[in-house]
Amino acid sequence: MTALLELSGIAKVLTGQGQPRPILTGVDLTVHTGQSVAILGRSGSGKSTLLSLIGLFDRPDGGRYLLAGEDITTVSERRAARLRSERFGFVFQRFFLLKHLTAAQNVAMALVNGQGWLPRRSRRATVMAALDQMGIAHLAKHKPTRLSGGEQQRVAIARALVRRPQVLLADEPTGALDTETGSLVIDALHAATERGCGLVLVTHDQAHAARMGRVLRLVDGALVQEVRR
Amino acid sequence: MRLSGKLRSALVIGGQGIRARKLRTFLSMVSLFLGVLAVVTVQAGAVIADRAARIDLELNMGRDGTVQVYLPDHAETVDITLDTVSGAAGTAALTSYRAVVGEPGVTPVNAGGMSFDHLGGNYGGYTCDRYGNCVSLEADKTKPPGQAVEFSLYGLTGDLRQFRPFHLVSGAWLDFTGGPLMSPGLVVNEELAKGLNRYQVPAELRLAGATTNATPRIIGVVDDGNSMPTAYARSDELRTWSPPDRVAQLYLSSDAEPVAQVLKTRLTAAGAPMDQWYSQVIDSEEFVGDQLMLLRLIFLGMAALVLLIGAAGILNVGLATVGERIEEFALRRAVGTPRLLLAGIVLAETMIVGLLTAGAATGVGVLGLEVARRVLGDREPLLAEVAFPWEAGLAGVIAGVAAGVLGGLIPAIRAAKIPIATVMRA
Repeated sequence: MTALLELSGIAKVLTGQGQPRPILTGVDLTVHTGQSVAILGRSGSGKSTLLSLIGLFDRPDGGRYLLAGEDITTVSERRAARLRSERFGFVFQRFFLLKHLTAAQNVAMALVNGQGWLPRRSRRATVMAALDQMGIAHLAKHKPTRLSGGEQQRVAIARALVRRPQVLLADEPTGALDTETGSLVIDALHAATERGCGLVLVTHDQAHAARMGRVLRLVDGALVQEVRR
Repeated sequence: MRLSGKLRSALVIGGQGIRARKLRTFLSMVSLFLGVLAVVTVQAGAVIADRAARIDLELNMGRDGTVQVYLPDHAETVDITLDTVSGAAGTAALTSYRAVVGEPGVTPVNAGGMSFDHLGGNYGGYTCDRYGNCVSLEADKTKPPGQAVEFSLYGLTGDLRQFRPFHLVSGAWLDFTGGPLMSPGLVVNEELAKGLNRYQVPAELRLAGATTNATPRIIGVVDDGNSMPTAYARSDELRTWSPPDRVAQLYLSSDAEPVAQVLKTRLTAAGAPMDQWYSQVIDSEEFVGDQLMLLRLIFLGMAALVLLIGAAGILNVGLATVGERIEEFALRRAVGTPRLLLAGIVLAETMIVGLLTAGAATGVGVLGLEVARRVLGDREPLLAEVAFPWEAGLAGVIAGVAAGVLGGLIPAIRAAKIPIATVMRA
């Protein structure tokens, strides 16, 4: 069976201020459809960098990256944008909801992105279905400032899922939430995997990681420890 | 026409951005408004001046494409010309007379055919208007002043209005279909009508060289764009009373070239000095365009400068806004929005601002012209008839969009270059 994601020997050197610093030295990772993977690691270990490479926010300096068998290691920015739109869904720690838009408009942002066009009525129905899936359809017209942290993160998850992505990438999605609300968010992400979506979760929380199918630890730029449950 | 998904997305997101930042949008519009208004005003002024100049040119020289011929000075020029062009389609020859209407044996109130509003004094055998235009009174200096007006009289062989579209103010234009009448029918211009009305002179027409006075019929009043008293009559009706001095001008339409060839041949055969034959085709662009171009360029330059300042205002606000919206743009890129579309969103916003400003500036322009028309319309006849030129609105739209693009370009490029990975890091 072709893997959904297949990363082999992925390397990345950070070249910001000061000396270039190798952050990833040889990451190997395979994720199949419906699988969930948790990535643990210390702060600065490169978890978010790895996630940004998987999500095509950035390009690796070495290694090979296959998405459903297609080599996308050096994909063009144009193609990357299309892949981000069609294949990936993203959930961030800080929700990243636009304050001037309603919950529904925030979700619709993933549909109004220049990658095809849905008529207003279809768009609304799709958005409402995504919000309903998260149990927050009644908050569709609310602006983010009127929502709790948990509700905001569920809006963000609805935005990530509204295009029915193959892969869901979550970067510490519970980091800004209390334990109970965080648990509900993890439930929502888990539910996505049950519908066939691959999930890569970056987290510091062992308990949330333990709920994933596989738990990997990023140490010295590589996924060296895999804990099977 | 269906818009592409990218364009629709840009418009939808741009609209959301504008609604979210109403005050900033308003401030951008304010910074751009004066520039666009300057462009609208300059363009409106230029178009109105251009129209006025072209109308003036048509009245005084002829419509575009009219061939204006100056004939050689020769004893047989008048007879040959009138014989050749009388009744020929697409032609009109003007024979000129010096004429006086009113009491016989007196010096006319406007001796020399001067304008009635600018009558000046007599200076040593000359009469001058207040602009210094002087005419010799040598022949008339023995006559006492009396109730008579002097004017230029043109005899026409054909309908001159096909070349020079005089506006009929009242009455009727000359009828060339029937035979000539003994009593010459005159169509007077507004200046002469004013003089006749003001001085109530007897209806007795004296033509230079005529032995007997005729009783004229005034059949209409036209606006011929001439500030000197002038009248027009059928050439054949005037010839009954006096032969014309000369053919002042010959007008030909472009399809009357064969008539011109016949006339040339006959004049050559009569021994006329054909090197004096001079013709010109009326080209309003050549006459008017060049005159207005420099003026228009100067004012457009000034308007462009003001517009540039407006664009700088948009640029300033745009850069600040992009700085504030880094997370939004990074997020949009994360959910699949291409860089080009992000740039398009910023440009769409600034162009919408430009369009709104253009609408406001055009509205103010229309309103301003309407106010000017109501307030100054009585004193300035041109204003009374003028409508806001659509070209000015179009210029405003172009200026607004151009300023939007100019001011939005750098913010758009910055927005497109925002790195997702750096911004979206937890």
